[in-house]
Amino acid sequence: MSRKATTSKPTIGLRGSDGLSHAYIQYPPLRCNVPESGGLFYDDGNKLLLSPAADQVFSWKVGIFDPLTGPTTDSISEGPIIAIRYSLDTKVIAIQRSGQEIQFWDRETAETFSHKCKPESESILGFFWTDSRQCDIVIVKTNGLDLCAYKSESKSLQLVETKKLNVSWYVYTHESRLVLLASGMQCKTFHGFQISSADIVRLPRFEMVMAKSEANSKPVLAAEDIFIVTVYGRIYCLQVDRVAMLLHSYRLYRDAVIQQGSLPIYSSRIAGSVVDNVLLIHQVDAKVVILYDLFADSRAPISAPLPLLLRGFPRSSSSSQFSGRESESSDGNVASSHEAVTYADSWIFLVPDLVCDVANKLLWKFNLDLEAISASNSDVPSILDFLQRRKLEANKAKQLCLGITQTLILERRPVPVVAKAINVLVSSYSHSIKTCSYLKGLKPEMPLNSGAQNSDADVSTIERDAIGKSIIHESTARVDSETLDSEDESHFTNLEHNSKEAYVGGSVNNENSPSNEAHSSYVMQSSLLSVQEESQLTSAAISPDEMYNFVFSPVDEEMVGDPSYLVAIIIEFLHSANLEKIRVLPNLYVLIIQLLVRNERYAELGLFVVNKILEPSKEVALQLLESGRQNTQTRKLGLDMLRQLGLHNDYVVLLVQDGYYLEALRYARKYKVDTIRPSLFLEAAFVSNDSQHLAAVLRFFTDFLPGFKNTAEHNRYHRILNEMNSSMTA
Amino acid sequence: MGLSSNSSNESIQLCIFDLRRGQHEGQELDKILFFFPSGLPFSKQLAVIGLSEGLITFTRIFSPQAACDSIEAERHSHVFHEPEPDIWMVLVVEKSNDSEPIWRDDALRKVLKEIHSLFVMFHGPVRAMLEKEPGGGLVRRHLYSFIMDYLRDFLVGKKFLLPSFRDCLKERGTVQMLTITREAAIEVQSLVRVLESSAANTPCYSLILFQDLLVSTTLSPDDTINLFTYAVLRLTPRALSSGTSSWSYLRKGNIASNVVTETNVAPPSSMPESFYGSSDISPGEDNNYHVVRPLQSDKWSKGKDGYLVTDLWGAEVGTWVFATPTVLLQQTGERMYLCAYQHRSLTLMLLIPISSIPNGEQGVSAVKQQVLENASLKILKIEEKLSKGWGGENAYHVGGYRYLLVDGDRNVSRASPATKVTTLTKESLLAMNKLRQEVELEKNRAKLDEHSCEKDLEVCIRAKNNAWVISRVTRGKELYMVLEKANETLLYASDAVEKFSNRYCDGTFSLD
Repeated sequence: MSRKATTSKPTIGLRGSDGLSHAYIQYPPLRCNVPESGGLFYDDGNKLLLSPAADQVFSWKVGIFDPLTGPTTDSISEGPIIAIRYSLDTKVIAIQRSGQEIQFWDRETAETFSHKCKPESESILGFFWTDSRQCDIVIVKTNGLDLCAYKSESKSLQLVETKKLNVSWYVYTHESRLVLLASGMQCKTFHGFQISSADIVRLPRFEMVMAKSEANSKPVLAAEDIFIVTVYGRIYCLQVDRVAMLLHSYRLYRDAVIQQGSLPIYSSRIAGSVVDNVLLIHQVDAKVVILYDLFADSRAPISAPLPLLLRGFPRSSSSSQFSGRESESSDGNVASSHEAVTYADSWIFLVPDLVCDVANKLLWKFNLDLEAISASNSDVPSILDFLQRRKLEANKAKQLCLGITQTLILERRPVPVVAKAINVLVSSYSHSIKTCSYLKGLKPEMPLNSGAQNSDADVSTIERDAIGKSIIHESTARVDSETLDSEDESHFTNLEHNSKEAYVGGSVNNENSPSNEAHSSYVMQSSLLSVQEESQLTSAAISPDEMYNFVFSPVDEEMVGDPSYLVAIIIEFLHSANLEKIRVLPNLYVLIIQLLVRNERYAELGLFVVNKILEPSKEVALQLLESGRQNTQTRKLGLDMLRQLGLHNDYVVLLVQDGYYLEALRYARKYKVDTIRPSLFLEAAFVSNDSQHLAAVLRFFTDFLPGFKNTAEHNRYHRILNEMNSSMTA
Repeated sequence: MGLSSNSSNESIQLCIFDLRRGQHEGQELDKILFFFPSGLPFSKQLAVIGLSEGLITFTRIFSPQAACDSIEAERHSHVFHEPEPDIWMVLVVEKSNDSEPIWRDDALRKVLKEIHSLFVMFHGPVRAMLEKEPGGGLVRRHLYSFIMDYLRDFLVGKKFLLPSFRDCLKERGTVQMLTITREAAIEVQSLVRVLESSAANTPCYSLILFQDLLVSTTLSPDDTINLFTYAVLRLTPRALSSGTSSWSYLRKGNIASNVVTETNVAPPSSMPESFYGSSDISPGEDNNYHVVRPLQSDKWSKGKDGYLVTDLWGAEVGTWVFATPTVLLQQTGERMYLCAYQHRSLTLMLLIPISSIPNGEQGVSAVKQQVLENASLKILKIEEKLSKGWGGENAYHVGGYRYLLVDGDRNVSRASPATKVTTLTKESLLAMNKLRQEVELEKNRAKLDEHSCEKDLEVCIRAKNNAWVISRVTRGKELYMVLEKANETLLYASDAVEKFSNRYCDGTFSLD
């Protein structure tokens, strides 16, 4: 577990970032600069960045981040804009004009109407569209929620339900479908509603914890101090406690809110983002970011606070000596342009992984540098665990895992350490098989790419199985499948179903007979994998076949010296695979045989075969026969295996080869092997120069093979037999 | 019992002699390396050896490679074994008055083989010891104490019970394996790797036993047999407990029994001093000179840390630490430390090359500590798993069958439990004994043949008591079985074999 080991890890493919940072933003950003813009708005329901100008609104789709995306425009009427959101079917634009009025704009018909509230008693804090069956839009007012249905025919909102509550401010994210309403003097009493397609869930009221600085002062919680975070399909609420300098986390369940512990903070301004289920806590003042993986129970950060890196920023001046390497800047102060400032005051963080520089009208997307993260951590099993959970860059995570494992073995780290690492990979694979995400990832056509709206739905379905307990999330997943993209979803489940069946079928097949089909399907998978190497894997899981192809086999080629270490590692792999009930392919068994034979450990090899550690298959049997050239006992094991597998034809041929042609004949008769030419047996008997045996073989065929007596073969060997006999008597 | 009539101590004679020694008149005594009973006058000892030598010289004329196997005299059988060139072991047993032979040459020869290979494992080859000390005193002292300790296991009351027809469904010189599931096997292998990696970078070997059955070995087949045999004799839980239970009895025997008194290291007083020790070793020095007696019983016990300890190898000079036993591996010719660890029914034997541990006992105990740290959890788990899966003493009993299954390639055998074999009648056992003798004759003949092919063999005998006595030999694997109270047709008998073969031998014996 030394530092040295981690630094010597191979950097796979990409430029090494030397652990300077673990998260980065990639140049160029999306430029959303339009003339006369009236500010930038983010519609997280549709993942749209909106920039209204005089009488039109520009919108950029940012669901799939592409800096070159051009805006689409819609014309709207002029006027003040407090908030603007497209309906989830993007047919209607809703614009909050004031504390009392929301205007609706039908994009097709250009018809418009306004919804107003009672000005004296209430004011509108905000609104959002939902995919609930009961209502289309929720309006948050100071005195509660209005759940309304949008009626395009009558050009009005129909009030479905109201939830009466005092609201100081609110927080909502579309990915969680959760609205949190703050009330009370300190704004630390919260009511929550999850408005999903299935139903509307009211969370129990809960209070946030706030430390007091002095006896009499009571800090007031502000909206920017609360984040709703969705990771691994679980919903957390994070609350900044400025006095205690802590970030409290709460996990939200359907019927409970449970405090989870606190994270330290080092800045008065804190923001949270989620990239690929990793929580990024931006310490804005300190200009550093801390990464947390909330999957495990530990609240320990993945690594130390490090600055955010701006990648690929072209330096206009100077530093020609660095030009070979891509110039990178991790420090805003040095950068030559205002664009390159990280954690500027004008940064607005958007859910889940975007940041908008409102001053410069730039949109950046956060990314994780998996390489840097894995290089900076010496606890290999935990880093593998972390990488296995990555879905966004699953392929890169997978390559890193393979590389790390390879290195581990090549460095001959202690077997228990490697065993632990391998166990992580195997159980992750087993899990992905159970949830079908492994095979799903191999399908060329991915629902993920079918549209911006779907990405949310897809990710959540994958995770639904992973965290069955999180009831809240389960319902969101259902929401997506039912309303948003029902067509895609059904197609998707179909796929899932099929692939699962195929797998089960394959493994069952293999139980009894060594079916080549199943094997070839595996081979197909792995080749498929290499074809779409950089593509849309959703899981970093590593199959036994890949373990063989990308870890054990290359390691075997590279490793020098005693192969028993590698045998020990493979045994640990078998151990893990056996515990997880994962089938191991014959190629690995073949490798074990080769390794043992290299050391001439024939006795152990015998034990392995007898105890069925090497599961019987034709490949294994053939390797035993091959290795048995130097050791007859091993050869016999191979022969016995062929016989036990019912490969009668091969068995008989090999018996004849070994000179046991009479036994072979008896066996052939018993198991009705009739595909072998009589001449094979006759020739063997002839070579042994035993006339009695030759006569016996000849007799066998004349008795049991109809028409044999009239063949040229019969005549030939009959003549030979006569000659043998006459020479003996003479 | 076959020996019951007149099996006094003189009913057996066992001698070891070296044909390269004492070839001049007057020096005949020099060739005797060991003789039992040692009280026999030299003239009688020389008579036995002279006869043997004469026959060996005579038969070598015809068969230089494999001289005399045995002599069948009217009242005695002589079984020969040449473990090292020109070193001969001869066992003489008395014949009974029965018409059927009660002895089987091969079974007796296996005893000789076992004595020799165990001796070599602990003390090295006889020839090497002779070269080290040409006077012969050293080797005589070692052989004497070693074989007397060995023979004591055959002693029941005052009689020696050598393997007779009653043991025809047993095979000495093979190991008995525990059948385990794949899952358990993988875990065992995982443990084996941990054990062997415990001693830094040197290749170690290991042997794991559950009860008296072998679970795993990384040694060569010959070394496996030797260590397995020793473990079953002295180390396994049964061996340890039988030692303690009969402890008081043997102590008594030490005073009472004539034979046991002889097992003292000191040679019998009737011997000329120059015979068992060269004259330059005075009795005082003799006491200081420590002859390691690995087979001495009741000397092993389980220590607090789970390791088995013994004072047989003495203590390290100036300390109270018992010296770790050492053994010589046949395959590599390397001397190894033998560390045995026991947890309930599980016995682990770890063999560490002496050359790899420069600082002696200190180094060994460091390795032992390392093993405990790395493996104790695994050991616990495996013991539990194997105990759960074990069917007990009669686990390998097959109802209706009394069988012996020998895999000659792997030196593995499995047989009906001894308690079940004893239910067979004497007739059945005698018939089986005879059948085995015949089969071995046939096998030996085939071995002499130039052909490398292993012949199949099938014999089915209806014995006097209407039992079926069956033998099948197929490509290195042998199956012997006795079916009493069985149907009288041959078809029935062969069906029974077929069924057994398919069920318990993966169809090895039902090929046609």
